[in-house]
Formats: sequence, C-alpha cells, structure tokens
Amino acid sequence: MQKKLIILKYQNIMKKKFTTFLLGIISLLLMSFASLAQSYNIKGKITDSDGQPMIGATVILKGTTFGTAAIANGTYGFTAKTKAGSYDLEFRSVGYSTVTKKIVLGSSNDLNVNVTTTESKDGINLDEIVVTGSTLKTNRRELGNAISSVSSKQLEATGTGNLTSALQGKIPGAQITQNSGDPAGGFTVRMRGVKSLRGSSDPLYIIDGVVVSNASDNVSQLANANQIGEASPGQNRLADINSSDIESLNVLNGAAASAIYGSRASNGVIIITTKKGKSGAPKVTFSTSFNVNELRKKVAINTYGKQFGSNVLRLHTIQAAVPTGLETIGIERNGVISRLASGLVDVTRYDYQDQIFRTGYGTDNSISISGGNDATQYYGSVSYLRNEGIIKGTDFTRYALKMRIDQRLTNWAKVSAGLNYINSYSNEKANGNVFYSPINSINITNNIWDITQRDANGKLLSVEPTRVNPLSTIEDMDFNQSVNRTIGDVQFNLTPFKDLSVDLIMGVDNYSQLGRNTILPYPYQAISGLPAGNYPSGYAGNATNNVTLFNTDLNITYVKELTKDLKITAIAGMNYQTSRKDFTSSSGEKLVPGLTTVSAASQSIIAGYGLDRFDVAGQFAQVTLGLKNRFFLTGAIRRDGSTLFSPSQTNQLYPKISASYVISDENFWQSLSSVISTAKLRASYGESGGLTALGTYDRFWQFPATPYLGQNTFVPSTRYANPDVRPERTKEIEFGGDFGFLNDRITLSLSYYNQQITDLVVNKNVAPTSGALSIINNVGTMENKGFEFALGITPIRTKNLTWDLNLIYSANRNKIVSFNTGEQLQAVTTVSGAPVFNIVGQPAGVFYGTFFARNPDGSFLNTTNGAGYVQQDFGKQNSAVDPLAYTVARDASGQPLRTGNVALRKVIGNPNPDYTASVVSNLTYKNLGFRMLFDAVQGLQVFNADKRTRQGVGIGDFAEKELRGELPRGYIFSTYLTEEWRIDDGSFVKLREISLSYKLPEIIKGMTGLKISATGRNLISWDNYNGYDPETNAGGNSDRLRGVDFGNVPIPKTYQLSLTANF
Amino acid sequence: MKNIIKYIAVGLLPIIGMNSCKTDTEYLNPSSASEKQVTSDLNGLIALANGLQYRYSISRLSPVYAMITANGLTTKELKVLNAGNTDEQNLQDGNASVLASNSVVSNLWSQLNVIKGNSDLILNNLDKVGELGTRSGLQAYASIYKALSIGITAQFWENVSIETAPQSRLVSRADGLKETIRLLEAASASVTANPISVNFNSRIVAGIDIPNTLNALIARYALMAGDYDKALAAANKVDLTKKSQLNFDDLTRNPIWDVAFGNVNVFQPLDLNMGLPTALKPTDADKRIDFYFSSRALVGNTYKGKGFFKSNSDQIPMYLPSEMTLIKAEASARKNDLASAEKELNNILTKTTDAWGIGAGLTTYTGAKTQADLLTEIYRNRRIELFMSGMSLEDSRRFGRPTTERTRTFYPYPQTERDNNPNIPADPAN
Repeated sequence: MQKKLIILKYQNIMKKKFTTFLLGIISLLLMSFASLAQSYNIKGKITDSDGQPMIGATVILKGTTFGTAAIANGTYGFTAKTKAGSYDLEFRSVGYSTVTKKIVLGSSNDLNVNVTTTESKDGINLDEIVVTGSTLKTNRRELGNAISSVSSKQLEATGTGNLTSALQGKIPGAQITQNSGDPAGGFTVRMRGVKSLRGSSDPLYIIDGVVVSNASDNVSQLANANQIGEASPGQNRLADINSSDIESLNVLNGAAASAIYGSRASNGVIIITTKKGKSGAPKVTFSTSFNVNELRKKVAINTYGKQFGSNVLRLHTIQAAVPTGLETIGIERNGVISRLASGLVDVTRYDYQDQIFRTGYGTDNSISISGGNDATQYYGSVSYLRNEGIIKGTDFTRYALKMRIDQRLTNWAKVSAGLNYINSYSNEKANGNVFYSPINSINITNNIWDITQRDANGKLLSVEPTRVNPLSTIEDMDFNQSVNRTIGDVQFNLTPFKDLSVDLIMGVDNYSQLGRNTILPYPYQAISGLPAGNYPSGYAGNATNNVTLFNTDLNITYVKELTKDLKITAIAGMNYQTSRKDFTSSSGEKLVPGLTTVSAASQSIIAGYGLDRFDVAGQFAQVTLGLKNRFFLTGAIRRDGSTLFSPSQTNQLYPKISASYVISDENFWQSLSSVISTAKLRASYGESGGLTALGTYDRFWQFPATPYLGQNTFVPSTRYANPDVRPERTKEIEFGGDFGFLNDRITLSLSYYNQQITDLVVNKNVAPTSGALSIINNVGTMENKGFEFALGITPIRTKNLTWDLNLIYSANRNKIVSFNTGEQLQAVTTVSGAPVFNIVGQPAGVFYGTFFARNPDGSFLNTTNGAGYVQQDFGKQNSAVDPLAYTVARDASGQPLRTGNVALRKVIGNPNPDYTASVVSNLTYKNLGFRMLFDAVQGLQVFNADKRTRQGVGIGDFAEKELRGELPRGYIFSTYLTEEWRIDDGSFVKLREISLSYKLPEIIKGMTGLKISATGRNLISWDNYNGYDPETNAGGNSDRLRGVDFGNVPIPKTYQLSLTANF
Repeated sequence: MKNIIKYIAVGLLPIIGMNSCKTDTEYLNPSSASEKQVTSDLNGLIALANGLQYRYSISRLSPVYAMITANGLTTKELKVLNAGNTDEQNLQDGNASVLASNSVVSNLWSQLNVIKGNSDLILNNLDKVGELGTRSGLQAYASIYKALSIGITAQFWENVSIETAPQSRLVSRADGLKETIRLLEAASASVTANPISVNFNSRIVAGIDIPNTLNALIARYALMAGDYDKALAAANKVDLTKKSQLNFDDLTRNPIWDVAFGNVNVFQPLDLNMGLPTALKPTDADKRIDFYFSSRALVGNTYKGKGFFKSNSDQIPMYLPSEMTLIKAEASARKNDLASAEKELNNILTKTTDAWGIGAGLTTYTGAKTQADLLTEIYRNRRIELFMSGMSLEDSRRFGRPTTERTRTFYPYPQTERDNNPNIPADPAN
C-alpha cells in the first residue's frame, strides 16, 4: 500500500514536471522568434549520378534546424534565419551517400548550391547514412558492425502487403519464416540464430522512435489455448503496419545495438523510419493492387477405391482387425504380433482438399499526400488492404491512417509529431494443432465419406466416428479478431549550441484486440461421439487484450572536430519503457441453438483476468573518435534495470567497443585502387541483454485461484521459481570488411561473428519427486557462430540497360554449450508428437527420438517376419549422462534385443538450417524492370507429423501404395511408432518474387512516376518434401518449436497486379 | 537571455529522463497468490487442500485418469480404440513398448509426486491454524492425499519417494506403504481427538467422508503391506452404508468420461471378461456386468463401458464399501480363517445392491473351501467388483497370477525423473 502511494505520488510529480517542461519550451520558443538573425535563401538541385532528380533528398544547414527536402524535379529551396558565418550544407538520402558542401553565409542573401549524390550499393557506400538508434544516425564509414538497410524501393512490388513477408531474402543474417499461410499469418524473424531457450528470439521493433509490439497475444484461438502445448498461435502485431508508409528499414544485430537498446537488444533491433513530408507543393502518391492467392501444391491423397478389412475398420492400415472373422496377417512390431486385416473391400474415396481450399482475392490501396513549407512539413496517408486466404472463410482487412507533421520552432528547435491509427480485422479458422482445424480435420479423417451430403434441414452429416466433418470447420466455426491500434510519437530535436544536439522522443503504442470465438454445436454429435476437446455441444468465447507500451528516449549528441584530423562524437542518453497488458476472457459451452456468443453458453462458463506489467530503464554513454576520417574507435557503456527482475539483480551493465578502418583511403592504397576501389575493415565487441525469457511474474512460484465445485481453490503451479533469476546476456564479437572492386562494380561485405549467450533462462524440468515439474532459472550457455556475406555485382551498366545481381549468404551454427545443472537434455512440450529437445553440444530444438535398426552397412535391419519390416532399435543408453551415446543390443539371431533394454534415441533431425541464401536479379531496360528473388533455406529437417497421420488414417500416399501392393502389407504399421519416420528434408529454394514493371511516360500532365507491375510471389518451390511446404511451423511464433508440420495452412502462391502514380 | 533559456531547456530534459529511470517497483500478479500468502493462514491452506483434490481428479493429467487408464490397459480391462493414441497403445502392447517417456505413466508418477509436495505445504504449516477441529480436518485431508500419492505410486513402481526434496532418495514400496499407513493413522488419531469442525467441512469441496476414508485407506494399504490384522481391524471400522466420493461438474469433469467414455476414440473395455482369463470370467448371471457395461452387445466393434463414468458430473468413489468386505475376506483367508473369508465372500456374491448400487445377485460360494481356491474366488471378485478402479495390477501381482494375464508387472521410472535425479534405480525387467 505504502509503495502504491509512493508510485502515485511519483507519477503526479512526473506529470507536473512534464507540464512545466512543455510550458517552458513554448515560452522560450516565443521568445526565440523575437530574436531572429539574418535571412538567407538557399536553393539548388539535387541529382543522382545518372542526372535523375533526387526526389525527397533532405538538405540541412548543419548546426541549425533549417533545411528542407527536394521536390519532384529535384530542386529544393529554403530560408535560413541565422547568423552569418561558415556552415556545412548537408545533403542526405537514405540509401545514398551523404554530400557535405561548405558554404559561407555572408553579405549575399541568395545562394545556389547544386549537388550530385551516388546511390549506395549494398554494404559498400561508406558515406551512406544508416540509422543506429531512434534519433541516431551515422555513416557506414564509422561503423564497427555490419548494419544492413532495406529501402522503400525494395519493398515495392513484392506481391504482399505484409511487411515481414516483404523482407524475406533481403537481410543478411536473418532467417524470416512464414509460419502459416493464413492471410494474417505469423512470421518468425531470427537474426543470427536462436537467442533464448525460453523467450522469444523476435527482434525489437522501433518505428519512428516508438517501441512497437510484435506480440502474438491469443484472443482468437481461445478454444484451443490449452490444447496446443508451447505453440504460440495468432498473428504478429506487425501485421498492422502498412509497408507503403515506410521510407527505410535498418537492421541491427545485438552487439551493434547494445549501447542504445541494452537489455532489449540481444535479439537484434529493426529500426523502421516512415515517410515524412517534404516542403513544396502538395504531392499525391497513389498506389493500388489486385492479387490472387492460390494453393501452390496439393498433398498426395489416396483416392484408390480400396480399404483393408471392412469399410467400418478405422485406421485400416494400422489398427488390429476387428471384428473377428476378417482375413488377417500377423505383423511383428517390438516383438508383439498384431493381426492386421489383409483383405480389400471397395470404398469410394474423396479428396477433401477440394472442399477446404479456394482461390482468394486481395487488394491493397493507399494514397498519401505530402508537402509543406520551410517551417512546416506534413505527410498523411490512408490505406486499405483486404486479403483473402486460401482456406475458405479466412481473410484479413486493414484500414490505416497516418499523419506526420514536422514543425520548426526556432532556428534551434524542431518538433515532429506522428500519429498512426490502424483498424484491422481477421477471420480465422482453428489453429492447425487441433483436429478441428481445416487441414488437420482432413489429415485425421478417413476420406470415404461424402462430406458435402446434408440432411433434410441442410445440416452436415457425420463422417468417421469421433472426427469432425472438415466442412464443419469452414461453415460452423468462426474465430475472428478486431484490432484498434494507435501509434503516436512526439519528438523534439534541439540544437541549442553548435556541435550539441538534444533529442527527446515520447512514444506510445496502444492497441486493443477483441477476439470472438464460436464453434456451433455439431448436428451429428449423437452419431459421431466427438471428444470433449472438440466442444461437441458448441463453444463461445470472447477475449479482450488492452496493451499500452510507452517509451521515452533522450539522446544528447556532441560532435566536434577537435583538430583537422580528429573528430569526436559523444552521445549520452537515457530511455524508459513501460508495458502494460490487461487481458480479460470469458467462455462457455453448450450453446443455445441459433445463437453464437458467450451469452448463449449454458455450461462450463468461465472468466479470467490477467495483468502483465513491466518497466525497463537505462542510461548510456558512447564516444566515437575519428582519426583522419578513416580510423574510428567507439566505446560505450550502458546501465539497465527492469522490474522483471528482483531489485538485487536488476542493475546490469553492458559495455561495447568497436573500431573501423577505411584502409582504401590511405595513400599507400592508391596503387591498388584500380582493382580494389574501396576497403574497410571493422571489428566489434558488445554485450547486450535479453528480457524476453522471463514473464512478468516468472520469478515467483504462482498459486493461481481455480474455480472448483464452488469452493475456494488454489492449484499450485508445477513450476518452481528462482526469485533471483538474472537477465540473459549475449556477448558478441564480430569481424568483417566491406570491399569494392573495379570501381565498385563488384561489392563484397563479409562478417564473422561469435555470440556467447550466458545465463540462459530455462524452464528446466526437475525430478517430479521434488514436488514440481520444472523451475525457471539461469541454467546454461549457448553460442551462435556464423558467417555472412553479401555480394553485389553489376555485370551490365549502360545508359539504357542495367543488370544488378545481389547475393546474400548466411550460415549460422547454434550450439547449446552447457547447462550448469550438469544435466544433458531438456524436453520441450509439443502436441504434435515431435520429440523436441535441447541437448548439450547440439543446436537448440533438435528432434531427438527413436530410430530404425540398421545393419553395419547402413541398410535397414528388417524383421524376419513375412516380407521383413523395418523396426525400432533397442539397446543400452543412459540419456541423463550422455544422450548421444548408446550401444545397440542384438540377440543370437542378430535381431534387436528388447528385454532389459530401452528404445534407443538419437538426434534424428535439426530444424536449424545449415545456411540461408538469396539471389536478387534486377534488370532494367529503359522504363522496363524485371526482378527475380530466389530464396533458399538449406540443410534442415522438418518433423512431418501430418505425413504419418495421413498414412495411419489410410489416406496418404504410402497407404495407397500398401493398398495397391506396391509396399508390403504392414509397412505403415511397422514404421508407425518410430519417430525417425516423421523426419523429412526441409530444404527448399523458392522463387520468392518475380516482378515485371513498366514506368509509363508522362501521359497526363502532372502525373509522374506512373508505374505498372505484375508480380508473382512464392510461385515455385524446389524441395523434396512430402507435404504442402517445408517452410512451416506448427509452433507458430514460438521459438522453441521449429520445423514441425502439424495441420498448418500452406503458404499460397500469389499473383499481383499493381499500379502506382504520383501527382 | 536566449542562452539561459537554452540552458534551462537542455537542463530540464535530462531531469525528465532521470526521473523516469526507476525500476524498483515490484509488480505482483493480482490473479495469483504467493507461497507465503497461501501457507500463512487458514484460508490459503483450505484453498490449497481443495487444490489437492483438483489435481488428483481433474483432467487427462490427473492420477485418477492415468491410474485407471494405465492399470486397465496393463491388466486387459481396457483396449485402445485408436492406435494413434500412441502412449495408450504402448501400454496395451506392454513389455518393452512401455517406454520411460510414456506420457500416461509419466503423468501418473509426476502428478502424484506433485500432490505429495503440495500436501507437505499443508502438513508443514498446520501450526498456522488455531482452531483444533479445523487443524485436524486439514491434517486428515492432506494426509489422505499424501497417502494416496505414495500408495498409488507403490501400486505401480518398485520404489517410491516419501519426501519432497530436490534429489529425493527412493525407498522400497514396502517402506512406502509403511509411511502411508503411518500418515493415515496419525491423521485418524487427530480426527478422533478433535472432531472436524463445521468451519472446515463448510469450506472443503463436498464428497469425501474423512473418518471412513482414513480407515478404508489404512485397510487397503495394510493389506498390500501384508499386515492382515491391521487391514481387518481398519476395514471393520468402515461404515459400509456411507459413500465417500470425488465430485465433478460440467466445468471440472469426470476425467474418464471427459477423455474416453464420452467418445469412442480413446479406450473402452476390452470385452465382457473384465480382464479375467476365460476360466475365471464372470458368469452370465453376474449383474455386475450390467453395472459396468452399457450393453452386453458389441456396438460398432466395441463394448461400451459405464460404471462411474456416465457423464461430466458422475461421481467416482474414493473407495467402494465392497472393497472393505473383500479386504476382510482376503485378510481372513490369508490368516487361514477360511470360515470368515467365505462369509465375507458370500456377502459380495449375494449382494443385490449397496451404497453405490453394485450387486452381483449371485448364489453363495460352492467351490472348494481350500485357502487357495477361496483366494482365487476373492481375486476374481475383486477384479469384477472393483473393475476400472486402478486396483487390478496390484491384485494380479499379490495373488501371484501368471504374467501372461498382464502386460507389465511394474512400470519403468519416467524419463524426467531419471534425467533429473541420480538416485533412481534400474528399471524392472518387465
């Protein structure tokens, strides 16, 4: 209570202080306007190396806030009211090199300055501007880390309205996986490997200085919330962001971001800058597109009209034959003989995929207007996106409004305010992990029923007992969510003194999600006998989730050229972030016929409320020394605290040091420069923290209240807690270089990194005899070592024809180094049957399971029964001591010896790829552009649960072969229990994007930049996978469950036609 | 002047920043209690006691589900309907197919041991309760669940844990049963000395008749431990007209109905033989078949079970009064008091109904009156009378039945226990 009062009081003081501050700012502005200096009109034209106007490039008179941006024809002009003297006029455009011109403001009041900038190639233009923090920018020259950037151009004509999807294949070191083909489907972004065994490895997203949420809080999959293990269903909230508002995107890995983002940096930071207004006449940009989504590939379904035993024998391939009297064959498995039906009966088989999938259509439209004058610039946009999924009844709709106003207050103060309102709505179907989801209802149901049959009242009929008619998942289930979101920021940029600037940002991301969930009572329950988990009498549930993230960032930057050769940049800053989530849900079963909401529920009605809050605060200082503009040394230190940890653990220090050396600027290099035109070497070491592994209350042993027969009940959590758990810490060392050859026709950027992640927080299993099943604690060390390169080649560059090729290759090796508890392995809970483990010496999340007995030559050791069948291996193994070691046991006849032995387990698959690579080819001929993006993920395995399910149910390709006699009877039965059978090669190469675009000449006066594009997305996948798509994740956005295929909606192929125009 | 304003503005900003850098607030979960809150007062301890029964009886994770399922599949009471339920199928196949990772077996071990730990939270904090009648109620309630935790573990494993410790040492099942009986006897003495208060009874989940349950469990575990005098004495103290049961409703559901009997996808009884060999199978006249089966005919290849699992809210007995009669019969027979044994056996055979409506409705015993024959008939009646109650693996072993009548004799220790506790002995051969 005492504490609460103090907090309230403190908040009041905060509010008061803030008001005082604002009043101060306003009054001093008024005063400042009164004391104006002389006026200078500065104008000119900015063009690129081809002489094309550089629309939108910014000009700033350094040391003042005066500046503007170039308009459509590349010209700019502004009035600066300042003292006479010598100044730097700086021209910047993200993706282009910065040009600085020295000018003297003296007696003449009009100046004309024209400049030419050159476009940056990936990773080479050393004077290209990159963003390193909310208000912090630097040029590549000074950077000791690899930071990659993506420009708005690269996000055009990608065939998707989803920002994360558009980034696939464009960021070195990042593996971006689309987990599901749902229209608002989740994505996983992983930079330089897995970072945590418990928390999310999702990077931190900053949009215009605002920490925005990319959480996937579940409000629309309430029915299965407790049925899917550690899987994390739902959309990521980045789905709300309209990618056409984005100007540029910079990607920082942990060490590079450590000083500025400290304890939230270890997963990397993605800094997104949105478009701003430019002074000049209002400019309107309009874009519209239409797209078609289709299923890329059907899975093989057995439509051969035969069945083993009888037409009522369920799981006819693997179930022992009943009733007796059927013709059977004895098949041995694990030493036990089972009698399987061997005779065939006629049945009619259907392909239910035809009833579930459809062609979806979508459209993405946006219109923006920007303009302004010297003092005020504005940007506003409206967008509308609607996209239908390839599963019937799924879609995603998003309306967004965005506004930004930049106002110069005085010659040393500027304010910028942005507001983004988003309303999104999605219709979903049940998450794939349950058998009442569209895909899994197909996988689990024998396809001998005509699911389109209806009774006299038009109701669907039953299929196989205990199974949901796949059409019920489409027609009688509705899971939807609507989101209202506002992201706003106010930023002050002050340059009170030459060399010193102060930036203050206050940002808010506030959203509310409302989820509605309905499963209508199944009309055929009396016949089907569906399990309780399918909610036979109907289900309805609502959930609301109100989230507010608030952040304040203050940065003070001091830049001084101490001597001609020595420049110092010092930054001090602090930031504060707070997060609050209020989650309320209610649900019930047994719906009154005809009604669909929780109000109609008549049994099992429950309600719940959860509150999640945390604060993070930190301070940092960073100093960069630049010697002769070619050698740079940066050192930084940061202190961080968070309420997630106990007061004794909360204060953490994160140091960082980096250096860069532009060796090609040295005199001795000049002889080499005709071949190696640019060369920069860099090295860095940084420490950063990870907060995501710990939930807000995870350091306490929880005793949740539970409704139970009308009496107060506490059911203690089976998870113990360590109150003094510490944040995870990543130490990263990185070396690299950026090189340009043959006048930068060829560019190459290389990085090697080694991350050691210590104090890994794990929900580690404990012996149940200790009174719980797990404990949250710091238990381990993990490492990521890797290599990245980006190669840019311009084989052709003529006036009319340009051909650019960009190759990205990233290889990461993740390894769990140790658990300090001495244990060797930890299991991860799944519902798909995937044996996911974290094992010392192995990458995170490997599949560790049973495998087939083999002869010394590697061939299968078959049973001596009948045709001879593959079989599970047995032997001696002590997994607690060494999970990887085992000795097989054989009996006198050379067969596996089971008695007194255990079923052996080994690492049978790894969901972490050996490497990812992409190739972008950009061909431009006059106004015609042709782009292809190939995206490869190679050397990984998928746990294909669905493949086995289809065979056991008797609807898969192996089942068909067994029916046709192409495989011996009992083949599926004998392989069924061995986990190795569910491991498939997950490698793929995809034609991610292919796009043809044409820039029309100015047909209508004033209409420029009219461009039409035809784009295809995910059209082809070269893989060897027995399922829809190896790019899949039943675990959804969970980082612990990767590469599991269980009822997932496949990623569609998309054709898009789009048009952009400027007025 | 202008510079002063600048200084003020620039000076103010860091102050704002500084002020917002405090992170020493401690946010607590308003929807959940802490260990201290729960164990420091009566309200918390009673709510915790209700939590013991919740964990014991609710959901597929619960020992009630796992015990009835695992035991039934191992002793041929039940059959798996869908081989896709791999762990259940492996239990049915038995032998080497029952892996240490088997989820049914792991849940049984894990949840029982968690209940043991949670019971200790109550037993270690009884001194926080002033009212003696409430204290005795809490002690009895927690002791019942701790005893069940250890006792049921001893029905399925050769060694058990009787302490709550990070790397618990296991003791033999005989020592485990001793500890079980000690706990129950201590609780029984407290309840006798200080009868359970109205305050306690009004706040604990209804259903369990504490004094009778304490004696019934002493009788059950004393019989398993081979202490026939104690078993007999305790069984005689149980009022056979009283019911003691686990209650359920639509939210907290009867787990066997919820998972299995409410559909036809997980398991159902194997056949009308109730797991007995042909020679011992129940006769057609035995009315208990109709109690435990919804029909004597196959429905779509399956004999559908009934018993105590007919709906979400169907009650499951903590013990059956007829188990007490059978304990008396068996203890007497083993003490070679064959006349008493036969008398108690006839009570079972001729019973037409009881507190739970179970009655064989048969005639008196006509077989040979040797100890061996009487014991076999007692075994047969235990299997029929106590069908799907989780007792039959223990019975099959205690009566020395051939191993072909069951697919395992003891279970392997669960993988999570072995992976995290160095004190785990080798698994049994079968």
